Order: sequence, then structure tokens, then C-alpha cells
Amino acid sequence: MIGFVVFSLRRAWQGFWRNALMSIAATATMVLMLVLLAGFWIIQTGLLSALDFTESKVEVVANIKLDAAPAAITELQTRLEAMPEVAGVSFVTREEALARFQQSMREQGREDLTKYLDSNPLTASYEVKLIDPSYATPIADRLREEPAVRNVLDTKDTAQNVKAVTDILRTAGTVILLVIGVIVLFIIVNTIRLAVVARAEEIEIMRLVGASDAFIRWPFVFEGAMVGLLGAGITLGGLYLLSDPIGTFMVDFFRVLPLSFGSLARDLVVLVTSAGLGLGVLGSWLSVRTYLIR
Amino acid sequence: MTLAPSPSAASRSLRDRIRRRGRVQSAADRAVLVMHDVAKTYPNGKTALLDVDLVIPEGDFVFLVGPSGAGKSTIIKLLIRDEIATRGQVVLDGQDLARLPRRAVPKIRRKIGIVFQDFKLLPTKSVWENVAFALEVTGSPRRKIRPAVDRVLALVGLTAQRSQIPSQLSGGEQQRTAIARALVHDPRLIIADEPTGNLDPLISWEIIQLLLRINELGVTVLMATHDADVVTALRKRVVALEEGRIIRDEVGGAYHRAD
Repeated sequence: MIGFVVFSLRRAWQGFWRNALMSIAATATMVLMLVLLAGFWIIQTGLLSALDFTESKVEVVANIKLDAAPAAITELQTRLEAMPEVAGVSFVTREEALARFQQSMREQGREDLTKYLDSNPLTASYEVKLIDPSYATPIADRLREEPAVRNVLDTKDTAQNVKAVTDILRTAGTVILLVIGVIVLFIIVNTIRLAVVARAEEIEIMRLVGASDAFIRWPFVFEGAMVGLLGAGITLGGLYLLSDPIGTFMVDFFRVLPLSFGSLARDLVVLVTSAGLGLGVLGSWLSVRTYLIR
Repeated sequence: MTLAPSPSAASRSLRDRIRRRGRVQSAADRAVLVMHDVAKTYPNGKTALLDVDLVIPEGDFVFLVGPSGAGKSTIIKLLIRDEIATRGQVVLDGQDLARLPRRAVPKIRRKIGIVFQDFKLLPTKSVWENVAFALEVTGSPRRKIRPAVDRVLALVGLTAQRSQIPSQLSGGEQQRTAIARALVHDPRLIIADEPTGNLDPLISWEIIQLLLRINELGVTVLMATHDADVVTALRKRVVALEEGRIIRDEVGGAYHRAD
């Protein structure tokens, strides 16, 4: 058994170098495909993070009646925070609301008209962050029935639109990733098949002298694994060298927090290595199978 | 042909009988090859062989002759179980090839040594490596490979050329390398498919002499050939095929029918 593994590994190594041009072509294809896969994975991750970020922006704003009792307001906050759909509640006082309004006027370069007012016309409000945008409507409905609440800003349409768009993007992303995966598989299998076809004579001689299927198959499978691992190594090396520009791009483009970046790097190592190894092994297995079934 | 037990069967030792249990018992129990009522029709409807009966006893030297398309290649394909007979039995060293599971095919092929017209050597490997290859890929331990390869290279007279690659060799030397590779498994049967087809007459005679010597050492040889001079000169057993049938099977025959 050990002899068989040593034999297969040795033959795989010889096969890789005896047919160096083919091996390099297969490895290059593997690298290109893995870069494509990794690139799309990065974009997909960025997209999902950006979607999460957008969804977290969906909130319900409840304006509080001017004459509401402070006790009723505090009591409302406690009840809001206890709701499972609610991710967080922040209270905006009347003064803060005025300050925000004034600042936004200043930023837009418009005249601050509030200085002509005798008193602050703005109400205090609760900004309710939700764990999922789909809860916007039921929470808004419940808030409208609260006695202390004057009105609820109608974010129903926004929430539904965001939900619809993010759902479409998520589905499309998954579908495209699957399609790319299948295309990559076909291209890799074909490239490895070329390398196997180039050695058809060797396989024929092996069959004629009475080599068992395992002795014919495994050297090729190991060779495919070598191509896959080498391709994965080159791809990951390249990504590592480019990790700074990629990080900048992701932050600029998707506004992803650096927090999710560590897990992305880990995911990429797992994805690229397993895809390379899996595609290499599967590609050789399928290619050499053609010569064994007789 | 009826398949009766061999008269010597009773005197055979118990161990021998147990070893042979399950194998096809035949009149030619010591035969390397028995083909009985064999027909082969390819999936495209073309009948390549019909009513073929052939027994090759151990130690025989048989020429298989006939025009192209007569069925010589089909017989060889049946023997190495590249094809399976549509009808009848092909029994090689006591095993019916049609009933052999796929797993067992490599093992039976190790009992046959095959030599082709185009040598089928690996161009990047040396003479020694080409011969050793046959043992390596069948899982022989390395300590057994070295003496076995050295022995057959000495037998075919290529010890001096052991490190050369095929392109550095003459056609005759390449064919002798192929013969060494065919011998390295200690086969029961050597099948030579037009072994001299690519060689000039003088070199052809060298190859024939080598096959005869191997035959004298006890290995059964089946040689398919077009070379009328060789067949007629040697007066060995000749099996002539035509349109898929055996039309002649005579010991001491010539290439053509003696009319």
C-alpha cells in the first residue's frame, strides 16, 4: 500500500515535469479560473456586507407628542427594547433634533430660518433600529397605537424597496457564483484532459502490460491534485500581494467594515485551496476514466 | 470438439486439483489457449470471426496468417480481452475470458506478453526503464524489478544498450526492447502482432531467431504475420484465416496452401 502511494506520487511528479508545457498550461488555466472565482467571491462578500449595511439603515422613527409625560416616554423605550424585532433604540431629544436640523441646513448652504422662531417646533423622537427591514411595517403599526406617539414616519415603501433589491442581488450573486463554478469546472477538466490525452500511449502500454486501474488512475489524480494545489498557491500568493489594494477597494466601494475582512481572508484560503484541489482531482479522475472503461 | 477430462487428471496431486478447481477442464488441459466455437460480431454488424476452433498447447510456436481484415487482429484483441467474444469460449491458461470480471483482467494480461509492429516504447524512458515500467505499473517490489529486468535484457542481448532511449536505437533493437518488456512478467504466452512489419529482412530474421530461442526456453509463441518467406522457411504450425474463418491449420505448413 505504501509502495503504491510512493509509486503514484513519484509517477505524478515525473508526469508533471516530463510534460512541463502541458502542466504549465493546466496550472495557468487553474490560476486564471481560481482568480475569477476568488474575485467574484470578494465582490459577492462585499455586496452582501453592503446589503447588510443598507438594511441596517432601515429604521422606524416615532415622533413623541409634545405633551407626553416623561414617565410614559421612558416606559415606551423599555417596551421597545424588549421587542425581539428591535436591534436598538435611540432617543433624540427636541434640542438634538433642532441641532441636527440646523446642521443639515448649514451643510446644504441654506439660510437657518429657525432663528426667527420663538420656540423649538420639533418633537423628540425614538429611532428604532430593526434586526431585519421586513419588520418595519408591523413595528410602525404598533407604534402608531401608542398614546405617547404623535406620528410615525412612513418608511414602509423604503423598507420594502430595500428588501426587494437586496433579495434580488443576493439571489443573482449566488446564481452567478454557481454558473462561474460550473464553467471553471468544464475548462479545468478540458485542460487536464489534454494533458492526459498527450499521454494516451503511456496509458495504453500500462493497460497492455496488465496494470490495474488503480495504478493507471492514481498517478494522474495526484498529478491533478498537484496542478490544483500549485494553482491555489499561486492564486493565494497573488491575492496576498494585492490584499492592500483589494482592502482599499472594498472599503471605498462597498464601505465594508474591516471587521469582516479577516473572515473573508480565511474564507478565501479555504475556498481557493479546496476548489483547486477538488477541480484538479475531479478533472483528472474524469479524464482518465475515458481510458479505463473498456 | 468435446471437452473431456484429461487422462492424467486422476494422478494429479490433491493440491494441484484444488488449485485448478473452477477452471475450465478441457481435453487440452495443458493448453495455454483454447478457443471453442468462437464468433465475434462488432456492434456495427460486421462479423470478424466465425466458427473459430483453436487449441495451442504449451510450448507451441504458431504462425497466424491471412490477408488484412481476415480476423487476425480480432483474435489478438480477444486474447488480451480488449474485446469479448460474441459466442463461444476463449480460455486462456484455464480461465474463460468472457466470464472474467473486469477487476481480473489486468492479472490475466500479465500472463501474456505482447509485441507490436510499432514497438510501443515510451520515448522518454531508457531501455532499462521501458522494461522495468511493465513491472512497476503492476506493483512489483523494487528489489524484484532489478534482477528481472537485468535477466531479460541479457536474454535479448541489450545489456550494453540499457541506458539508451528508443530514438538512439535501431529498429531491431527497439523491437528487442519490446520483446524484453513482454518477457519480464514470465508470461505463459507471447503474442507477436506483425513484429517484423517495420523491419528490413535481415533484422526481421534476427527478431524471428530471438522468438524461436524464447520458444525453446518453453514460452508459447503466437505470431501474426504477413511475412511469407519466414513462415515458409520455418515450417512451424500455421493457422490461416480468411474472412473470419480458420481455413487451414497444419503443422509444418507454408505461408500459402501447398496445392
